[in-house]
Amino acid sequence: MDGGTLIREARLRAGLSQQALAARLGTYQSVVARWETGASKPTMATVRRAVRAAGFDLSVSLTPIDDDHDRLIGDSLRRSPTERIEDLVARLELEERLHEAVLVP
Amino acid sequence: MTGFDPLAILRTLNEHEVRYVAIGGLAATLYGSPLTTGDLDICPAADSGNLERLAAALQALDAAIYTDRDPNGVPFVPDADFLGNAEVWNLVTRAGRLDVNFTPAGTGGYPDLVRDAVRFELDELEIPCASLRDVIRSKEAAGRERDRRALPTLRRLLAALEEQERSE
Repeated sequence: MDGGTLIREARLRAGLSQQALAARLGTYQSVVARWETGASKPTMATVRRAVRAAGFDLSVSLTPIDDDHDRLIGDSLRRSPTERIEDLVARLELEERLHEAVLVP
Repeated sequence: MTGFDPLAILRTLNEHEVRYVAIGGLAATLYGSPLTTGDLDICPAADSGNLERLAAALQALDAAIYTDRDPNGVPFVPDADFLGNAEVWNLVTRAGRLDVNFTPAGTGGYPDLVRDAVRFELDELEIPCASLRDVIRSKEAAGRERDRRALPTLRRLLAALEEQERSE
């Protein structure tokens, strides 16, 4: 997600027009529009300031990369949405069967 | 068999012309999330006409109120007024678990979510689905442990989809 998208999301969540957010920031509506459309790239500090002007705080955290996510996502994206649902139902059925498994003494 | 048949629930909602968007884990599945979810979450429009149609759909699905004590559900007769009295309905239907949430965490409900919603078509069944960004936004706001666990995968999925879009 880029900075302009974050600004747009914060603005919409706050129910503000581009004009209203621009006024809070002391800038022009066209500047906000350019951020949101990606025509210009706001700096991290600008994004934080704009998000705060909409009443939110920007929380950034670092998460270790887990390659397993990418493999599973890649596999899933190669399926059609119908196959994804079928796969989900099959996984749930397998889970249920595993839960019903009885340990043989 | 889990008896979870999300497409049957969605088909019934469509047959009754309910206006809704799918959210939560199943919506994420449609986008390509490999995570497992055992229920369907929807956010319906809250106008009285839609509540009437939703009530009819829930009756057709034999919906009952889900509780931890009684997973088979506490019977109830859904009607529009009754449905409008709560923000969230945790239900069990003949096709599995269905959560109806009029204002999912971090969102302004149906009018907010429908703005960026997309439609998936599966075997002639159209599924209105909240944007993946909104699914993530709602999970971030809900902040439950299972939502927090899902977030890294969903953010990676969003990045993969954006990358895919850029390269097309």
